[in-house]
Amino acid sequence: MKTKLLIVGGGPAGLSGAIAAAESGVDVLVVDEGLELGGQLVKQTHKFFGHQGFFASKRGVEIAKILKNRIEELGVKYMLQTTLVGFYEDTAVAYSREEDKTYEIDYDYVLLATGASEKFLVFKNNMLPGVYGAGAVQTLMNQYGVLPGEDFLIIGAGNIGLIVAYQIAQAGGNVRAIVEISDKVGGYEVHANKIRRMGIPILLRHTIIKAIGKDRVKGAVIAKVDENFKVIEGTEREIVADTICLAVGLQPSIELASQLGVEMVYIPELGGHVPKRDENMRTSKRNIFVAGDLSGIEEATSAMAEGYIAGYTIAQDITGKDLSEKINKYKEELADLRRGPFGKKVRSGLEKMGIVLPSGGYRTDLQKDFGPAGKLRAVMECHQNIPCNPCEAVCPTNAINMGGNINGIPHINYDKCVGCMMCVMKCPGLAIFMVQEFDEYSVVGIPYEFEPLPNVGDKVILMDRNGEDVGEGVIQRVIKNRKDKTHVVYVAMEKGLERTVRHFRVPSDEEDEIVCRCEEVTKRDVEKAIDMGFTDFEELRRYLRIGMGPCGGRTCRLITMGILARKTGKSMEEISNMNLRPPSIPISFGSILRGEKE
Amino acid sequence: MKEYRVCIIGGGIIGTSIAFHLAKLGERRVAVFERSYISSGATGRCGGGIRQQWSARMNVRLAMRSVKLFERFEKDAGFDIEYRQGGYLLMAFTEEEAERFERNVKMQREEGLDVEILSPKMVKERYPFINTENLILATFCQTDGHANPHLANFGYAFAARRLGVDIYTHAEVKDIIVQNGSVMGIESSIGSFKCDVVVNAAGAWSKEVGKMAGIDIPTTSYRHQIFVTESLRDFFPFMAISFDGNFYIRQTKHGQMIMGQGDPNEKPGVNRNVTYEFLKSMSEKMTKIFPFLENVRILRQWAGCYNMSPDAQPIVGCSKKVNGFCYAAGFSGHGFMLAPAVGEALAELIIKGSTEHVDISFLDIDRFEKGEVEIEGNVV
Repeated sequence: MKTKLLIVGGGPAGLSGAIAAAESGVDVLVVDEGLELGGQLVKQTHKFFGHQGFFASKRGVEIAKILKNRIEELGVKYMLQTTLVGFYEDTAVAYSREEDKTYEIDYDYVLLATGASEKFLVFKNNMLPGVYGAGAVQTLMNQYGVLPGEDFLIIGAGNIGLIVAYQIAQAGGNVRAIVEISDKVGGYEVHANKIRRMGIPILLRHTIIKAIGKDRVKGAVIAKVDENFKVIEGTEREIVADTICLAVGLQPSIELASQLGVEMVYIPELGGHVPKRDENMRTSKRNIFVAGDLSGIEEATSAMAEGYIAGYTIAQDITGKDLSEKINKYKEELADLRRGPFGKKVRSGLEKMGIVLPSGGYRTDLQKDFGPAGKLRAVMECHQNIPCNPCEAVCPTNAINMGGNINGIPHINYDKCVGCMMCVMKCPGLAIFMVQEFDEYSVVGIPYEFEPLPNVGDKVILMDRNGEDVGEGVIQRVIKNRKDKTHVVYVAMEKGLERTVRHFRVPSDEEDEIVCRCEEVTKRDVEKAIDMGFTDFEELRRYLRIGMGPCGGRTCRLITMGILARKTGKSMEEISNMNLRPPSIPISFGSILRGEKE
Repeated sequence: MKEYRVCIIGGGIIGTSIAFHLAKLGERRVAVFERSYISSGATGRCGGGIRQQWSARMNVRLAMRSVKLFERFEKDAGFDIEYRQGGYLLMAFTEEEAERFERNVKMQREEGLDVEILSPKMVKERYPFINTENLILATFCQTDGHANPHLANFGYAFAARRLGVDIYTHAEVKDIIVQNGSVMGIESSIGSFKCDVVVNAAGAWSKEVGKMAGIDIPTTSYRHQIFVTESLRDFFPFMAISFDGNFYIRQTKHGQMIMGQGDPNEKPGVNRNVTYEFLKSMSEKMTKIFPFLENVRILRQWAGCYNMSPDAQPIVGCSKKVNGFCYAAGFSGHGFMLAPAVGEALAELIIKGSTEHVDISFLDIDRFEKGEVEIEGNVV
């Protein structure tokens, strides 16, 4: 098999490189291991940040489709379920799993876009079934439609951990907590806020010590750590979970780069060992290029920009055409993406390779103004300098501006805002809300991505930014967004709450998770009582009347103890057993009166 | 060593009420030591009645003060305790008892308590579900009532804790340290603590705790059994009780009927097992007076201890022999209903040296030595 350009990896970087090269008239072959083109994009159901016009506010799956369509339009050849097994001195060999045979490939140029692999974490029993990498959970859930568990514990609060947690919640899974060893969330605040307002705890300065279970995961022991990441003794507690999802970072997949003999450097900011390359993505070997996570762990948007830069540079080499205008456009795009605080790590990593990128030059001050009370208007809760501007781009009245740079904090001009909520539907961070105050009540429009949608008139429980219940509200309007799938749900609430309410939940069957059927005690009742300070089983029982009904505690005893154990970290053995009192089934006065002694 | 002003032994309604009232008076250096869990003793096992109709005048006063405090409980402690002033119907089945009731009512009215005397016909009219056969007369006080003892106990404990009191559960006091006639501290399963005052609120174990300080608390504990039925609709707002008939019965907020009786043949000692004999004798007696019970099912029975004093009245005060040793014991089956007033009075006595709201000097242990004893008759 012969090709001018061999691209290894059909993710966002590889496909972008293929599009750029093919557009410029180069013959391209893409080799990819997966079942479909798109790499990790096919599992990403969330909307991407970045420039409107450069895929921002599109969901990963949609981006994959767009790239694939373009590849096919351009007639790019690609081989799926095919692994490039070796770059030998004499040839490159690809192995097709489907055909169970190898292909020798003759190439002039190589673009390596092999991406990254997930880091693993060492803790006791980490080999138990039920311990997954975040990517695996996403594959099962978003690609194959299988939820691998019911109760999830996520390790790592970077963007991947946060996004996976949100996707699990959307799929109906129960995220017990996100455990993060450092003292701050690594991912975007807007992603963290989506998690927090659902009431999912993000436990900072915590780590996992061991998985509990014999044949599969039944829970985990977590603990607090000190500033040196050492476990603080006595802070261990158990969390009940059947799935532990590791999202503790990525490392570049450098195997093929190494076989090709390109120069490697160790740069922790870029994820460890990476191929040394110039700003056109060319490695130490003239005909070998890299792009995407292989060249430094970042995200899909920058991977695509790198792919384009590599693709056009290769095309320039092969065809002799001047493509510098296109190349510079993507370099500017990249520079913008990396200009803000979240680009700092990559910037300093690239500096070690001699690539210097600009920083700063964007607005950092937050808008203090909450807008004129009474007017239906958008309020923004986007407080970090992340490179993203769909709100600005979509606003029909130019009421929203980023202050001249994509990394700026968005501000709203309330004289111009007409309350059209286009920005609410567009914002990838779900960080824009609609607000209106009336004489008797207030209304908040909440971006909502859960199924099923509530109905107008439904009573809901209002939640604040931390997921705490703050009252009850009524669904007033449901604006379906068939295209983007970010719906807007308007909830009416007590006046004054419009500044705190940012989420709601429908008191569903789950709300009535009954623990004690006789006395209709719910799981929530039990958890609330434990939070109040009832940590002794007998006290809890007497307070809630658990086991005081006709069944005598058959249903509720163990369940309650389980909740108590989970919440307090006590073992079941430590929890005093309840006194089981006669009669063991209810008997009537009459049956006693009619009783016979003999 | 951790230091407190007051260490209270017993986390029942009495101990936690004293703790709450001490904290309310501004004394936050208070700890409660409970050997098991809150409401594990007699409080969590009692019928929950709150009555002012007593035969001894001082008890009427004490109970009336308690009712005032129960009325304010939710406001004071921030806890709904299912308090209901549905009244108490005292039923006399003998001429002798009827005469006594009439005398009592005269005294109770003198104390300002609103009590009615009802003929069997009036009882039947009001409460057709009661079989009034053999009833001579009944007395009724609307401001009597009942509450959920667990919740009241938790209410005091949580409120005290909020005010700064330390409440230790699963913490057993092993000894009281007395030097030169004064309390110095306690030894417990969770360590030693210094304190100026120890309060014996140990209920069924008050005698044993008294011995730790070298003080003889003349109490004896006896088992009392009790049971509860399945839920019925809400129709029985009051507590019905008879001393010569030997029973009490009420309906809880949740609809369950709760009832019990005393057993004159019960042997002294802490025994919390239950007997079938008790169910049989209750079934026979209760279905006669309350025929609707015939088809009602019994869910659960249990037992607790009355800590009886020689005159069936509480022993409350501070020792004149051991400085700093106080006691609130021997409640003889009515500790729950008296707890608010006793807690308040003893807290006042400890902090201010004298009581302000209700005189409890008649409850001091001295009365047994002086021979000034009036036996309270209105006890099941």
